Amino acid sequence: MSAPDPAHLVQDDRVHRDAYTDAAVFALEQERIFRRAWLYVGHESQVPNPGDYVSVSLGPDTVLLTRQADHSLALLHNRCPHRGACLVNSNSGHVARWRCPYHAWTFALDGHLLTVPMADGYDAAFNPTDPALQIARVPRVESYRGFIFASHAANGPGLTEFLGSLASALDNMVDRAPNGTLTQTGGVLRMEYRGNWKLFMENATDLVHPSVVHESSVAAARAHREALAADPSTSQTLQMLLSNGLAMPQWAGVPLHADPHGHVYMGGFYKDGVIAPVRSDPVFDRYRASLADRHGEERTAQILAVDRFNNLIWPNLSVNARFGVLRQIQPVAVDRTRVTSTCFRFDGAPDEMFDLTLQFLNTASSASSMVASDDLEIFERCQRGMADGSLPWLDIRRGRQTDQQQTDGSITAPGTSELAIRNQFSAWLSHMSGASEL
Amino acid sequence: MTRDNRLDSDDERALVRFVYHEARLLDERRFDEWLGLFAADGLYWVPSQPAQASSTETLSLFCERKPLLAVRIERLAHPNLFSDQPVTRTHHQIGAVLPERSSLARVDFEVHASLIVCEYRAGDMRWFAGRTDYHLRRCAPSSALTDGPDCFEIVQKRVDLINCDAPHRILSVPF
Repeated sequence: MSAPDPAHLVQDDRVHRDAYTDAAVFALEQERIFRRAWLYVGHESQVPNPGDYVSVSLGPDTVLLTRQADHSLALLHNRCPHRGACLVNSNSGHVARWRCPYHAWTFALDGHLLTVPMADGYDAAFNPTDPALQIARVPRVESYRGFIFASHAANGPGLTEFLGSLASALDNMVDRAPNGTLTQTGGVLRMEYRGNWKLFMENATDLVHPSVVHESSVAAARAHREALAADPSTSQTLQMLLSNGLAMPQWAGVPLHADPHGHVYMGGFYKDGVIAPVRSDPVFDRYRASLADRHGEERTAQILAVDRFNNLIWPNLSVNARFGVLRQIQPVAVDRTRVTSTCFRFDGAPDEMFDLTLQFLNTASSASSMVASDDLEIFERCQRGMADGSLPWLDIRRGRQTDQQQTDGSITAPGTSELAIRNQFSAWLSHMSGASEL
Repeated sequence: MTRDNRLDSDDERALVRFVYHEARLLDERRFDEWLGLFAADGLYWVPSQPAQASSTETLSLFCERKPLLAVRIERLAHPNLFSDQPVTRTHHQIGAVLPERSSLARVDFEVHASLIVCEYRAGDMRWFAGRTDYHLRRCAPSSALTDGPDCFEIVQKRVDLINCDAPHRILSVPF
């Protein structure tokens, strides 16, 4: 079988199903996207002290994010250079040095070889400083305001250049913390679906689907509106479910913004009650006051006025700055994807602000979610439907005529446009054809 | 179990029968009746982490008090609930049932049990295993205890899956 030619899979108004269903295309994506692009791997607060590590995904690999003795960060492959055994088998921990569980080779925190048992069993050609005998390190690791990204490629554009205008989403999340820092806490939610990873990224700013796919939870929430609104512990979920029931003109009114790197963000559509962007109640007033202590009133108003929902950093990170959550979309196979959701405290904010964050993910990102479960079901149906070869192409032209090219290179459109899908495929094609250095 | 936690045999039988009845309502998709077993502020909780201490400081797979659980149940009857088409069939196996008196505030009894749920939908069979722990309140005169399950209400039902922190595909019905 010859290698797929990505240029034959994407046109202005349609995409070939092979982009979602062909294992050879998936393998090429791993090589040209997930082994080259900057990918989010974790947050600085997960490894506060030297010797702390967490096991994280970097494209197809599981690697160890570690804090070094000099407080810098390193990403090490979880593989002993001797016989290949994984060095650790837990999701997180603390080590003084790495010690392989097989033959007890030991390595410093930065991965360099310290000791080998039976040293007299090796001849003079065995050089402990040989690069092939050190734990392999991921060549590029960089923190952007606490968010750690890495790239398997030794060369390419820097992280800030890669993030482009979507760095603003990460900025806004940090700016919302009165102490200026975020702490990842509250656990993790993991979902999986039998479908291609791109389906999740494309759906995340598709605003024609919510009132269709989520009809059942909108209807159920409407039926119980009074009982739920009265209870502060449930009113957030009620508002979130109801918000998916907007009419098409309202969805069209949500702005979409596409960045040349494939990134996209959409405006907010949570306008009422406890999920309104700016509220007036004792908790929020205290929160705003603590932000104003740091930033001043004017800057605080600007920070809180940034009302965006999903910010998609291509290829596989979704950021919701207002609620302090990240979702990583991890390809497992051409037809299998994991979504890992994590959340952050805005350090210095009242504890009640974190309640909103937890409730947001419980409602939106659990496998039992009354919202996400129907999205996952649709992704699985798309994957199964695409296996039917009767029509090889998928249509992506909705809203093409309303796309507005801006002078800064971005494109804007009404929320009902398929702009985001076209923009993601533009970046996809650039990487897949090898045209991009990323 | 300390001596103080011991139950008389009528209570013990009624509590065991209550949890069997609860499982049967789920397996028969009698969700409205199942919801009716919960106290007005009753909590249905499936933690996302092993030995999770709190439902308010850590994320959960399910975490719903009765008013929100009512939305979930209402939704299960909706004709366009895509994530439960075709409907999920379940089989609950409950064992090692241990009822005892509770010292918790506004809770009369606790029932601890092991749980295996087999689930089938659209060609896929899945198995879940774990512990289930009930906090129950007596809600009728003790003379009614032997007459049926309705004399207890669920203050909290907690299900700890052994793979709670694994990636899960759609969980469309309660455990």
